[in-house]
Amino acid sequence: MRPFKFTPVTDAASAIALLAKNEHARFIGGGTNLLDLMKEDVERPNELIDISRLGITKVSTILTGNHSGGVSIGAVGKNADTANHPLIRQKYPLLAQAILAGASAQIRNMATNGGNLLQRTRCPYFYDVAMPCNKRQPGSGCGALEGINRMHAIFGWSEHCVAVYPSDMSVALAALGATVKVRGTAGQERSIAFTDFHRLPGNTPERDTNLAHGEMVTAIELPPDNFAGNSYYLKVRDRASYAFALVSVAAALELSGSRIVNARIALGGVAHKPWRAFAAERLLAGKEATEANFLLAAAEEMKSAKPLGHNLFKVELGKRAIVRSLQMAMNK
Amino acid sequence: MQQAKKLTGMPVDRIDGILKVTGKASYATDYPVKNIAYAVLFKSTIAAGSITSIDTSEAEKVPGVLSVITHLNAPKLNVKGGLRGGALLQGPEIEFHGQHIGMVVAETFEQARYAARLVKVSYRQTDAKVDFAKLADRAVPPKDRGMADVKRGDTAAALRNAEVKVEEIYQTPIEHHHPLEPHSTIAVWEGDHVTLYNGSQIVNGAQTAAAATLNLKPGNVRIVSPYIGGGFGSKGGQWANLVLTAVAAKVVSRPVKLALSRQQMFNSVGLRQRNIQKLGIAATKDGKLTALAHETTTHVAINSEFLEPCGDCSKVMYDVPNSLITYRVVPLNIILPTYTRGPGKSTGSFALESAMDELAFKLNMDPIELRLKNQPAVDPSDGKPWSSRSTIQCLKEGARAFGWEKRNPVPGKTIQGDYLVGYGVACGSYPARQRESSAIVRLTAKGPDVRATIELAASDLGTGTHTILAQTAADGLGLPIDKIHIRIGDSDLPPAAGSVGSVGAASFANAVNDACRKITDELVVKSGKQFFVAPTAAQLMISERINSYEARVDAKPPVSANQYSSHSFNANFAEVWVNRSTGMVKVARFLAVTGAGKILNPKTARSQIIGGNVWGIGMALTEESVIDTRWGNFITRSFADYHVPANLDIGSMETIFINEEEKFSNTLGVKGIGEVGIVGVAAAVVNAIFNATGKRVRDLPVTPDKLL
Repeated sequence: MRPFKFTPVTDAASAIALLAKNEHARFIGGGTNLLDLMKEDVERPNELIDISRLGITKVSTILTGNHSGGVSIGAVGKNADTANHPLIRQKYPLLAQAILAGASAQIRNMATNGGNLLQRTRCPYFYDVAMPCNKRQPGSGCGALEGINRMHAIFGWSEHCVAVYPSDMSVALAALGATVKVRGTAGQERSIAFTDFHRLPGNTPERDTNLAHGEMVTAIELPPDNFAGNSYYLKVRDRASYAFALVSVAAALELSGSRIVNARIALGGVAHKPWRAFAAERLLAGKEATEANFLLAAAEEMKSAKPLGHNLFKVELGKRAIVRSLQMAMNK
Repeated sequence: MQQAKKLTGMPVDRIDGILKVTGKASYATDYPVKNIAYAVLFKSTIAAGSITSIDTSEAEKVPGVLSVITHLNAPKLNVKGGLRGGALLQGPEIEFHGQHIGMVVAETFEQARYAARLVKVSYRQTDAKVDFAKLADRAVPPKDRGMADVKRGDTAAALRNAEVKVEEIYQTPIEHHHPLEPHSTIAVWEGDHVTLYNGSQIVNGAQTAAAATLNLKPGNVRIVSPYIGGGFGSKGGQWANLVLTAVAAKVVSRPVKLALSRQQMFNSVGLRQRNIQKLGIAATKDGKLTALAHETTTHVAINSEFLEPCGDCSKVMYDVPNSLITYRVVPLNIILPTYTRGPGKSTGSFALESAMDELAFKLNMDPIELRLKNQPAVDPSDGKPWSSRSTIQCLKEGARAFGWEKRNPVPGKTIQGDYLVGYGVACGSYPARQRESSAIVRLTAKGPDVRATIELAASDLGTGTHTILAQTAADGLGLPIDKIHIRIGDSDLPPAAGSVGSVGAASFANAVNDACRKITDELVVKSGKQFFVAPTAAQLMISERINSYEARVDAKPPVSANQYSSHSFNANFAEVWVNRSTGMVKVARFLAVTGAGKILNPKTARSQIIGGNVWGIGMALTEESVIDTRWGNFITRSFADYHVPANLDIGSMETIFINEEEKFSNTLGVKGIGEVGIVGVAAAVVNAIFNATGKRVRDLPVTPDKLL
């Protein structure tokens, strides 16, 4: 680990000002991902600004604005506290399920909500500084493209990067249509739709998100339509806990009788960002909630999949996971 | 004084349990050593070639750095001193990716780790041989004469003329041991004498190898290793890190601590090699085996050889007139493989016992019935009688306890909601041996308070050696267990065998038992009296008013040991639930039934069997170390990528020990359980998956994608 300065802060404005001043500084919340990356010499910040004491941890009902009736989640709240909060459990069980499907109990107790959104890929070529990786070292090449890519993307990848984004929580947030509240250097706030928060790799895989240096995630806002009655998070992985998804699906349905008014489907483990299955969603809107339609929708989404050398199975697994998660969403 | 109640065979709590859960048991790097410096290794980023230059100038400038040691300035060592895997910084040659090429010694661990990142290395690369799948057809017979072809009868003809046969290829991946405690050492020099605090499964072996490598007499090296945080074979033979710690301490003239990181564990301390096993089994229509051919192809290091004996179980499990066991190896630029729990037997039994299940299915015969039908009366490999063998009882009692009669023999027919349910069975074995070990018993008495200290250079991997030796001594001396002090894990103590190859309990406990007998006999003679009822040593210390007395034995196995074939045997039963949509497998129930002679402590024994079972489930379902053949590096470098089973992966675990009398292999009748717990486990799980789904998976691990 390279030497670094540790700067605790107690207010957001000075945290943002400090970060803006130093392009090699990073915020640290729970540190569950950043410290690992520093030990491996992947992240090399010269200053850590500790925002874990900012107090922006609350889970609360939004009373005004276009998300009125929804719920706001503080960026520095812990993953475990968020998943177990009564408002989340009752109104957004999909989110609680997704958070609890991720990592281990110990990590969830440390990890923050904002940090969860900003965690970096677990691609082994990214983690090993002896390997080429455009995300870690732009221009060095993608080790995984022609390498061991069983865990890698089938959607939205580029020749520069085939990594997948690892968060479970974000898959549910994408399905639920959350927005990310961000504060900038001049104190101005902006909201970013969840689907616009993370990026596809293109030719700048070093950038995971559309957050600018100097901006801080302060909260995640969930809209009032919560799909609480018909949602399910299905995670398929190599072991029953503490493993990243081969494929995961956050499925949520708004039903009128047996007819689907609105379907939300997001996939994890398949792309550089939580992958909203818009093609499947469009196909299901207005249709009967039947297994046959679920199969058609899953097949439609997978038409655009481009598997790599070792992950062809994700196409079939993705189809099955979409169908199964929609069925589970119905069985509630 | 009342004679204590017999403790051997009782489920006594670990005598070191409180020490461990309160953090008071000192593992290697827990020893408080003053003025210590820290060493961090750095490693090659190519798999074959040589170093052309190393620039350490940036690293040396880091505050706190005391020395950067590479092949350019390392002291001369004896590379043939008995350490495994080379990598001793004696030259520029690179034989595998991740070979140690140097180390930084600094005031703090963080400084050393940071400086190690700043070393710049240039290489001349040569063609690395790492792609086993591509090179397997160039495999040659091994140099090890113990691994030469073993033929009995005419297997080819029997297979050709078989009424029913199975001929299939089974593959197992590279696995790593990954003990919870990574390999760690503290080295302290006093003149030309060095003390090495180091987890060592074979204390005297570590001493001999370290001394020879350092060009010292064995007496100039002391190994201290009372507690070990697991080893599974990787701390049996010792590796470069042990001696490099001593080298670093010598260079900086201070005590040095060196602990491998989890990432470094992948290419520092050996591995279980990848095996391609070709099985051919022939049988008559009524299920009598006529031929068994077990041909293994694997990889060894580029300049040294180790291969696990995958064909061993096939030598002893079944009565078959025609048999062929062969090995072929390819030298690769991958770290030297080494002993890994149930070496050869765990992976070999996966192939053999899967093939037996396939044969039973083809014969339309219950797989237990097929096994019962082919039990050998004597060891088929050498004609020796069994010292004891309980395979039949293991199968029968296991079937009863597991509810085998509920199994539907037709695959894919048992459906529970989202799941396909299946039952599987598989057997295993592991040789039982007592090895020479010495032990001292020291008795002291203050009035009626008699205490004993037991000393021998044994080792405790965490399996309960301290406890079983205390039980043995308590019974042997007639003392309560809390009057027994066990001193092991120190090469200054009488030499002993190691905790390897399932020999630990038999070797150590028999030595302690012999020492207790000897001291009792000597005390009787010393008393000059004749007794109608034999007194205990403790009673004699009191009655004869002796303040202190000691005895030493150099215990050896009895002559009868050589006249019999001795193995522990088991039968494993698995119930799996396979998710029909996702292919995820849950082992809902697992039962291991083991015949291993005298079980000294059923509580610690059960834990050890379950530990082996869990790793076997990992072998079946999750564990695999993957190499990128372009560079020869492991891409599964952490527990996020190398999947050992987590709590949620393991269901109900049951253990039964057969009440087995073992009279010939050693005095106490102990056959050992360290290895056999993993043997036959993967096959039981995979056979259950076949019963659940109708899918036969022959390459491990069975990840969800293989069941779609």
